[in-house]
Amino acid sequence: MNAPAKHEADRLHEMQLLSGNHAVAWGVCLAAPDVAPVYPITPQTPILEKLIAFQAEGAFQAELVTPESEHSAMAACIAAAAAGARVFTATSSQGLMLMHELLHYAAGARMPIVMFNVNRTPAAPWGFWPDQIDSLSQRDTGWVQLYSESPQDSLDTVIQAFRVAEAAELPVMVSHDAFYVSHAVEPVHLPQPEAVRSFLPRTARSFTLDPARGQSLGAPIGQVDWNRTRRDLERAMGGVEALVNEAGALWGNITGRTGGALDLYRTDGAELVFVTMGSMAGTAREAVDRLRADGVAAGLLRVRLFRPLPAEALRAALAGVDCAIVLDRNHAPGTGGVLHQELRAALFDAVSPPRLHGCLAGVGGVNVPVERLTALARDLAGARPAPNPLWLE
Amino acid sequence: MDDHLSPLWTHLTSAGRRTGTWRSALPVWENAPSPCLVACPVEGRIAEWIGQLRAGDLRGAWETLCDNNPFPAVAGRICHHPCEGACNRNELDETVGICALERFVGDAALAEGWAFAPPAQERDLSVAVVGGGPAGLSAAYQLRRRGFRVVLYERSHALGGLMHHAIPPYRLERAVLEAEIARILALGVEVRLNAEVADAAALADLRGRHDALFLAAGAGLPRRLPGLDHDAPWVMESAAFLAAPPELQAERAGAHVVVVGGGSAAMDVARTLRRLGRAVTVLALESDGQLPAQPVELAQAREEGVRFETGARLVRVAPGQEGLELECERVTFTPGDRPGSFRADPVPGSAFRLRADTIIPAIGQEADLDRWGTMLGARGGVIAAGPGGRTRAEGIHAGGDIASHDRFVTAAIGMGKRAAQAIAAELGAAPAEALTAAPEPVGFDRINTAHHERLARQRAAELPVPERLSGFALVQQALGVDAARDEARRCFSCGTCIFCDNCHFYCPDMAVARLAGSYEVNTDYCKGCGLCVAECPTGAVHMREEKTP
Repeated sequence: MNAPAKHEADRLHEMQLLSGNHAVAWGVCLAAPDVAPVYPITPQTPILEKLIAFQAEGAFQAELVTPESEHSAMAACIAAAAAGARVFTATSSQGLMLMHELLHYAAGARMPIVMFNVNRTPAAPWGFWPDQIDSLSQRDTGWVQLYSESPQDSLDTVIQAFRVAEAAELPVMVSHDAFYVSHAVEPVHLPQPEAVRSFLPRTARSFTLDPARGQSLGAPIGQVDWNRTRRDLERAMGGVEALVNEAGALWGNITGRTGGALDLYRTDGAELVFVTMGSMAGTAREAVDRLRADGVAAGLLRVRLFRPLPAEALRAALAGVDCAIVLDRNHAPGTGGVLHQELRAALFDAVSPPRLHGCLAGVGGVNVPVERLTALARDLAGARPAPNPLWLE
Repeated sequence: MDDHLSPLWTHLTSAGRRTGTWRSALPVWENAPSPCLVACPVEGRIAEWIGQLRAGDLRGAWETLCDNNPFPAVAGRICHHPCEGACNRNELDETVGICALERFVGDAALAEGWAFAPPAQERDLSVAVVGGGPAGLSAAYQLRRRGFRVVLYERSHALGGLMHHAIPPYRLERAVLEAEIARILALGVEVRLNAEVADAAALADLRGRHDALFLAAGAGLPRRLPGLDHDAPWVMESAAFLAAPPELQAERAGAHVVVVGGGSAAMDVARTLRRLGRAVTVLALESDGQLPAQPVELAQAREEGVRFETGARLVRVAPGQEGLELECERVTFTPGDRPGSFRADPVPGSAFRLRADTIIPAIGQEADLDRWGTMLGARGGVIAAGPGGRTRAEGIHAGGDIASHDRFVTAAIGMGKRAAQAIAAELGAAPAEALTAAPEPVGFDRINTAHHERLARQRAAELPVPERLSGFALVQQALGVDAARDEARRCFSCGTCIFCDNCHFYCPDMAVARLAGSYEVNTDYCKGCGLCVAECPTGAVHMREEKTP
C-alpha cells in the first residue's frame, strides 16, 4: 500500500492549533494502542473521528472496534486487555454510565485500559454541558482518575496514563470538560514519536490469557480469595500517586512540561487557596493573579489525580493555609460537591486544617467569571464555612 | 509461578459447576424437512443435494437426486417446480433456482455417462408395469434397483409417455429423454413395446403372471368440447397433433389456428404452431390470471407471438367463404372445489367472432375408465388409488394420469416411486417404508439469515425469439459452472445440518462437542439456553422440553 507522500501524522513535533479532543487523538495515536473499541457520543465523537482519520491515512494501526454500545465497547476493552493488548477507549456521560457494571469488572480484573472521558451533564434533563458528575459518580469502581485542564494537558496526560496503567495494572480514566476543553482550540505541542515510544515501553504483563498456559481469568472464587483481590487492588492503588508523579517528572525531562498528582500555582506563602479540578483551574489561575496583584496572598491547588486521592499531599499542600475554597463543577445531591467532601475527609485529622469552603461552581456548565472568584475570595477570606455548599453562578 | 498466581488468575475451571441442573429443555440435532422437500412431487431431498453440489460433490448430488427421481435432466427442464414457490429464501429476496440446479446436475451426469448401480440383491419376484411414461418408468426404476424383475408393457412404439409423445423438443430435447430412459433400462428392465393391454380380462391375466402389477397407462382420451364437431376435417386433437412428426403437423394445420384451452398442452400446441409459421390464437375460459399453464410458458408464448383470447368460449363454428367463422362469447370463469370442475357464466352481449382454418382443442385428457373402472374402482374421473397407489384389486397398484388429476410429469414420477415402495413392502422384500403424513417443514423463522450471504439469483439465458421461431431448439439455456456454484450457495439448507459448528462455538458452556458427522451435547453443562438453536443457520437444531422425573 502506498502511504500518502506527506500525511498529517508526518507533521509531528510541531506546534499545532488543536481542540482538546483532537489533542487526545494525537496523544493516543502516538501511544499506539493495539485495540480501540469506541462508541461515538457527543461531545467525545471528535476523538473517534480523528482516530479513524489517522487510521485511514495509515498513521494509526490499532484494531478499531465499533460495537453497538458503550457496554459492549468496554467488554471488548476488557477482553483485548486480558489477551495482552494495549487498549484505548473514549466516551462521555451516558456512555460512561452505561459502562458502569464493566468499570468494576475492568478494575477487578486489573486491566490496564486507558479511557478518555469528556465530562458532560447526565440526563435528565438532556444537556451537553461541562459537568464532572459523570466521572465522579464512578469514583468507587477502582479506576484511577485524572483530570485535565487544557488541550495540552489532555495530550500529555493521556500518554502518561498508559504508563501509569501498565505499571500499576489498573485501568486509568482521564477526563476533560465538554466544550471548554474538548472543543476549545489552543496551541498544542506535539511530542516526537520516538520520545513517546521510549516513554511507553512495551512491558510484559503479570498474566494474560494464553491458551498455552491453561489459566482462567476471574473464575468464581471463595470469600477469602475474593477479599484478597481487594487487598491487592488497594495495594496497587497505593502505588499510583508515585507512578503519576514519576511519569510527570519523566515527561518533564522529555518535553519540559511537568505534571504530578497535584498542580500547585502560587501557593508559596498563600493564605487563601482555590482547590479545583479541570478547566475551572484556568479561571482560578487568573483570579489568583489578580488577587496577588491586589496584595491578597492567593494560590491555586489543582487536583490532577483524583483517584487514588493523594490525601497526604493535599494535607501538605494546604498546611498553614488559612482559607481553602473548593470549586466543584459537579453536584452530588444531598452532600454538595464531591471534591469538597473528599477534602473534608482528607483534612479531618490534619494538625491545623484551613477553613474549608465548599462552592458548587459552574454546575451544568454555567459560566463562572474571574470577577466572581475574586469577589468570592474577598467574601470568604475571614468567614466561617457555611454548613451547606454555596451555589455560584 | 503458581505461588504468585493472583486469585484473579486461577487454574480453576467451571467444570465443577454442573449448569446442566438448571436445564428444562435440551437441544436436539434433527434434520427436518425443508419446505421444498414437502412441496416436491417426488419428495426430493433438495437441501441435501444442493449442499453436495455446493461442496463440489457432483456425483453425490446426482445420486441423492436419483434416490427419488431417475430423470433429473428431464425434470430440470420441464418440472413445474412447486419447490421454488415454497422456498424460504422467497422471504429474504428470491427463491433458489432449484430447477435450474437440478438440470445442471442431471446434464453433468449425462455428460459423464454415470450409470445406476446394479441392485445389491436380485429377487425372484416379478412385477408388471403397464405404461412406459414417467410413472411407469419411475416405478420400473425403483423396483429394479430393489432387485425385482420388471417387465414394462408399452402400447406405443416408444417409451416416455407424454415426455416423448407430447412435450415439444424446444422444452425437452429427445436426446436427453432417451439417455435418461436408456440409463433406467440398463438396470435390466424387460421392455415390451406395442403391447396394448386391451381390457380388464387381459389386465387380470397379466397380473396373474406376475407377483404384482403397476398400472400407469395414462389418460389417453381427449376431453370433448361442446359445440365442436371433433370429427370435422378442420379439427385436430391436441394429443394427436403433438405426437405427429413436424411434416404431418404442417400438413394438418391451416394458416390460422385457434387452440382451445389454457394449460400446458395448449401452450405446447400453440408454440409448436408458431415454429411452423402459423398465426395462432389461444381461446381459454380462464381469465389472464387464472390460466393453468406455467407463468414462464405463458410469457414465452406471448414473446413468440401467440395471441390470447382469455375469459371466452367457443359457441359454434360455421364454415365460411374464407375458412371458419368461430362464434365466441366472453365468460366469467369460477374454478370449482374439485380438480377440473368450474363454472363459466356467459357475459350477456359479449359475442365476438374469430376466423380460423384449423381448430385444435387442448382442454385435457380423460382416463379410460370404461376399460378399467369396474375392475379397479373409480373416483372423480380417475382410478381410485390409495396410499402407494393401491387399488381394490389385490396386487394391482395404479399411478400417473390414470389415477390422478395432478397432471405433471414429476407428480407421475412421484406416484411411480411410492407405488414401487408399497409393492416392495407388500411382497415382503423391503421393510415397509413410512408413508406418514408430511411433517411440518422448517419455516423461515427458524433460519438465522445473519449467517447467510446476500447473493442475487443466478438466471440462465433464454434463446432469442427469432432463433426460437426458426426451429425447435431448446429455449431455456443451462446455468454455467460458476453460476450454478453461486446459486447453490444461496440455498439456506433448511432443516439440514451443514456442520458449520455455530452450535459448538456459540455455546456459552462449551457443552456442544463435534463428533464425526454429528454433534453431542454434554448434559452436565447444557443449561438449555437455546443459543445453539438461535445461531443455527439452517434450523437443524431445536429444543425439546424435558420433563422433571
